[in-house]
Amino acid sequence: MTELERALVALGEGLEYPGAPDVWAQVEPRLRRRRFWPAVVVAAAVLAVGIAFAVPPARSAILKFFHIGSVSVEQVQTLPPAQTRPFSTGLGPKRPQPTVQLPARLTATAYYARPGLHAALLRYRGKQVLYAELRGDQMGFAKKFVGPTTHIEEARLGEFGMFLSGAPHVLMWEQGNVQTRLAGNVLIWLDRGVTYRLEGDLDKRQMLALAGQITR
Amino acid sequence: MVGRPLEEPELIRRAQRGDTHAYEELVHAYQGIAFRTAYVIARNAADAEEAAQDGFIKAWRALGRFREGAPFRPWLLRIVANEASNRRRSAGRRASLALRAAAEGPSGGAAPSPEAALLSAEQRTALLAAVETLPEEQRDVVALRYFLGLSEAEVAETLAIPQGTVKSRTARALERLRESYD
Repeated sequence: MTELERALVALGEGLEYPGAPDVWAQVEPRLRRRRFWPAVVVAAAVLAVGIAFAVPPARSAILKFFHIGSVSVEQVQTLPPAQTRPFSTGLGPKRPQPTVQLPARLTATAYYARPGLHAALLRYRGKQVLYAELRGDQMGFAKKFVGPTTHIEEARLGEFGMFLSGAPHVLMWEQGNVQTRLAGNVLIWLDRGVTYRLEGDLDKRQMLALAGQITR
Repeated sequence: MVGRPLEEPELIRRAQRGDTHAYEELVHAYQGIAFRTAYVIARNAADAEEAAQDGFIKAWRALGRFREGAPFRPWLLRIVANEASNRRRSAGRRASLALRAAAEGPSGGAAPSPEAALLSAEQRTALLAAVETLPEEQRDVVALRYFLGLSEAEVAETLAIPQGTVKSRTARALERLRESYD
C-alpha cells in the first residue's frame, strides 16, 4: 500500500458518519406487512366489486380513480369521515437534520422522515406549506378521497402532475391502523420515480412557482 | 440452555426458508456496513437509511436466488448500493453534498491507527476536498475501497462492475489525488 493509500485509509477512519439507525426495527414491520397486505387488499377488492354489482346505487359511488406514483386519488360522492389535523400528523418525530434538499431561499421550520417519505414544513408567502417526497415501491402509500366539489386539474410538471383545490379532500394512509385527515389545496407530481407533494393554502400559480423552485 | 450462535451459512439457509429470526441476525450483523455504504454513495443520511432498509427488504425477497457458498456481504451490499445510487440519481443535487471530517480521531472512540496519526488535520481536509472533486464513479470506488475497507473483489461485486474496472478506476483516482496530496 502506498503512502497515499494509507492516507486515504486514515481519512476514512476520521470521517464522521451519521448515527447508524436500527435497521431491523424498520425492516421487521415491513416484512410482516408484506405478508399481511396482499390478503387484505384482495379481500377488500373482492368486497368492493361485490358491493358495486350487488347494490345499484353503489355503481356510481366511485366516479373516478387514478394513480400518481405512490398516491391514488378516488373521487367519491360522499367523503369518509375525517377532521382537520396538523400537517405533521403521521410524519413521525422531527428530524434534527434536513431530510430533503431545499434551495437556500426557502425556509423549513421542521424536517421529517419515515420509510418511503421525506418531508419538510415550509413558510412560503407567509403561509405554512407541507412539502413531501415519496420514494420507492410505495404503490398505495397514501390515498385521497375527493368529493364532487373538489376541483381536479392537470398540472404541467414532471412526468405528470395534478392540482386539487376547492373543497377539502380526505387524505388516508396506513400506519398501524388507518389514519385520516382533511387536506386543502394540493399539488402532486411524478418525476423520475419520485412522487412530490405540496399542500397549503396557495393557488395553482403559487404552487407551481414553489414547485419550480424546489425541483428545478 | 443457550445454544451456540449459528454460523452465517446456516443463518442464510434458515432465512431462505422464511425464518425471520435468522434474517434478523443477518441484518444486525450487516446493518452498519450497509448504512455506511449507502451513505458514501447517497451522501444524505435519510436517503442512506432508506436505501439500507429497502436493500434489506429486497435482499429478503431475493434470498431464494442467493447462491449457496457465495459471500453474503458483497451480495447484500450490491443491493443496498443500487438502492443508494437510484436515490442519488433521482435527487440529483444531493450528490454534491460533502462528507464531513470529524474534528478528532476515528469515530467510535477507538485509538487512531498509525496511518491516522500521521495525517494532520490540514492534510485530512485537503485530501477529502480532493476526493470530492473526483468523478462520481472514481469517488465511489475510493470510498468503498479505502474508507469502508472493502476488498477489490467486494467493490466490484458491490458496484456491479468487473474487477478490472475497479483497478483502472482506482488507478485513475489515485493519480488525480496524488497531484493534490504530494
